[in-house]
Amino acid sequence: MSQNGNTRTVTVRIQRFNPDKDKKPYMQDFQVQMTPDTTVLDALHDIKTHQDGSVTYRKSCRHAICGSCAMHINGRNTLACNTPMRNEVDKKGRVTIGPLPYLPIFKDLVVDRSSFWEQYLRVKPWLAPPAHVPEKEFRVSPAEVKALNDAETCIMCGACYSSCQVIALNKKYIGPHALLKAFLRVLDPRDTIPGERLEDLAKSDGVYRCHTIFNCIDACPKNLNPTEAIETLRKLAQRRLKVEEQRQERQKHLDEPVS
Amino acid sequence: MPNTEVITHDVIIVGAGLAGSWAAMVAAREGVKDVAVLSKIHPLRSHSGAAQGGIAAALNNVRPVPDTGPRGPLEQIPPGDAPVDSWELHMFDTIKGSDWLGDQDAIELMVKDAIDIIYEYEHLGCVFSRTPDGRIAQRRFGGHSAPRANFAADWTGHVLLHTAYEQAIENDVKFYSEWYAMDLIVEDNICRGVVAIDILTGEIHTMRAKAVLFGTGGYGRAFKITSNAFANTGDGVAIAYDAGVPLMDMEFVQFHPTGLYNHGILMSEACRGEGGYLTNKDGDRFMEKYAPDKMELAPRDLVSRSEQTEINEGRGIGEDGQGIYLDMRHLGREKILERLPQVRELAIDFVGVDPIDAPVPIQPTAHYSMGGIPTDNNCRVMADAEGNLVTGFYAAGEVSCVSVHGANRLGTNSLLDASVFGRRAGYAIAEFVNNGAKLQPISGDPAERNRKRVQKLMDNPGTENVEDVAQELKTTMTDNCGIYRSEEGLKQALQDVKSLQKRFKNAKVMDKSSRFNTDLLAALEAEHLLDFSETIVVGALNRTESRGAHSRTDYPKRDDEDWLKHTVAHKGEDGAPVISYRDVNIDWEKYPPQERKY
Repeated sequence: MSQNGNTRTVTVRIQRFNPDKDKKPYMQDFQVQMTPDTTVLDALHDIKTHQDGSVTYRKSCRHAICGSCAMHINGRNTLACNTPMRNEVDKKGRVTIGPLPYLPIFKDLVVDRSSFWEQYLRVKPWLAPPAHVPEKEFRVSPAEVKALNDAETCIMCGACYSSCQVIALNKKYIGPHALLKAFLRVLDPRDTIPGERLEDLAKSDGVYRCHTIFNCIDACPKNLNPTEAIETLRKLAQRRLKVEEQRQERQKHLDEPVS
Repeated sequence: MPNTEVITHDVIIVGAGLAGSWAAMVAAREGVKDVAVLSKIHPLRSHSGAAQGGIAAALNNVRPVPDTGPRGPLEQIPPGDAPVDSWELHMFDTIKGSDWLGDQDAIELMVKDAIDIIYEYEHLGCVFSRTPDGRIAQRRFGGHSAPRANFAADWTGHVLLHTAYEQAIENDVKFYSEWYAMDLIVEDNICRGVVAIDILTGEIHTMRAKAVLFGTGGYGRAFKITSNAFANTGDGVAIAYDAGVPLMDMEFVQFHPTGLYNHGILMSEACRGEGGYLTNKDGDRFMEKYAPDKMELAPRDLVSRSEQTEINEGRGIGEDGQGIYLDMRHLGREKILERLPQVRELAIDFVGVDPIDAPVPIQPTAHYSMGGIPTDNNCRVMADAEGNLVTGFYAAGEVSCVSVHGANRLGTNSLLDASVFGRRAGYAIAEFVNNGAKLQPISGDPAERNRKRVQKLMDNPGTENVEDVAQELKTTMTDNCGIYRSEEGLKQALQDVKSLQKRFKNAKVMDKSSRFNTDLLAALEAEHLLDFSETIVVGALNRTESRGAHSRTDYPKRDDEDWLKHTVAHKGEDGAPVISYRDVNIDWEKYPPQERKY
């Protein structure tokens, strides 16, 4: 953190809750010094290391790639590590931080993401590759890869999941993160079971549950668009057999140059 | 704290990055029924996922456009045209990059396996960037004489990690997410398991296994400015060292030339691989002076030293003159958005600069640990400098020291090392277990011993703030054991480390609860930093030469006569490291030491 004379004191209001001793969550205020460079994660680190070591949150990479530090900052879900304090301090000189909503709280800002990971597993996130494997790589075009880029950079932080109004009411819904992963596999020319995947995704807790409220798009710290992916999956699910057929045709040419 | 059940598995892997996930996936695939992986953070949060620029292998998919020189544009190699790359070339580049401290038999295995493992990743679903005809895309990287960095934009580690983890789950590997290994159980040179805390409950368990693998990553967090995640506190290195296992070549720490100014966050070497310049405050491309041939694509040790020299001689940028500019403006908007979208966002988010419009302030940042737990080529851990083994104990990836990187690692060789040796470990462990390895008895109650250790730490009223002690360590390591080192500075660092170790005995843990106590974990991690940092300093103090990333101002030359050897450190009875040395594996016919110029 640079010290360039722009230091000021602000209040960080944190939701606290340790289920072993607290009946219910409560808010606690801490004062921190911030500079224009200070991130929300820097502020939390300062509080934890020098004021109250029991303030608990997850963190690791501190540059928006590991997905650990998603939390609820001033009423929206985002990552603490790449959110500058200067953009968050309100007129009262305060930043308010809570855990990701709609999920059980383990402690303070640490939530139980079990349902999130269960849904991730449910969509079989791994590729189902062709039985015949070429000596070198499968040939995939830059355009085919570009379509996948919109899903592959997901860091599984849970910001979208815990902003989803459908998830809030129904944890059986697959959810935006896992549907985005499913999108990645369904669209991958190397995957052999797009039809089977689409059949599962079209079940009652799948793609048709999405109410297109777009909260997931607003929440995504990587600027991804799960809603659009879900819409695409809906369209593909309606012509599942055609998708299967096209995939089989495409896979006859997976070891040939694409241009 | 209550007594807890003893947990038993055939194989326990600590760390879920590329090395751990590959080892788990392969061991399970090879028929080992009961493979478990422990990780102190969720597996997909592992630091392998932060790697950006690429993974090396001589696939021969692209070449420089003929007659455009060494920095000209790249094109896909037309079918039937001659290859430009080979594993032999990759091998020589890696040996030269290592400043001849890398073991050449291990390097040969790695560069040969490289080609095959990239195709395996691709067949398992990894989404790489592509050439126009659909092959895996490749770019240039420092110290490599051909474009052999296979990549997925600038999130290569992320896609590799997701692929390896997905495959491990599909092969029914059991994951203990947010479990922290705090002790290794070794008796009579046989590894018998680990002791771990379930972070959520705070319960401490003895976990028995026929084989244990450490894939716990590096120790960059011992330095003030670092590209490493909070998690990279060298736990595996420290735990093994405490259990009597030696550490090798710990003094070799890589400083990456382009960490974001004041933050240390990585700006991928791909920024320079795609053609970015480094400039000083006068606007000069100073690499002309230091590496006229390779320029910005010289190996990292050389580029970081050049930057530091510019800074030390008053030509740095920024408020305190401690920075350098990374200029990518001439690459153009389109290329930056297509090839470097993530690093662009990092520059905007953390230093408020868009690389499309302005040069990015950067500085050298502690990045990679060449040293670690010594292993043979099948990842079996060595018990001593003679190469005797610890039965049932394996290590792979950054925590290990095979050694394929020697005194300096080339960019894109780390994802490769973690993948290749993770996979090799998987096969070696499967063979060991399938050939009838047994669970070995354990004397005493290791969990209880560790419960007492934790209780003592928690009960200590303490006056020392853990973070302050850790910060003081990082400051002395950076100032006195960083890019440039000297006897005077290293002696100061050693004195500081020892005094901080003493002060830590009086450390205060603020959080007294058992549930999800990350304050306690931070204290254990700080203890680990203080523990192994001594081996870095002592190794550096003893090594009176300059080689790769270890650069002594008082001994500026490489000294093959006395120092062409690995440093091996055991923890002595008084806690101080006891040093011995091990020969480097060198093919004197083919790859004898040469002067290292770029």
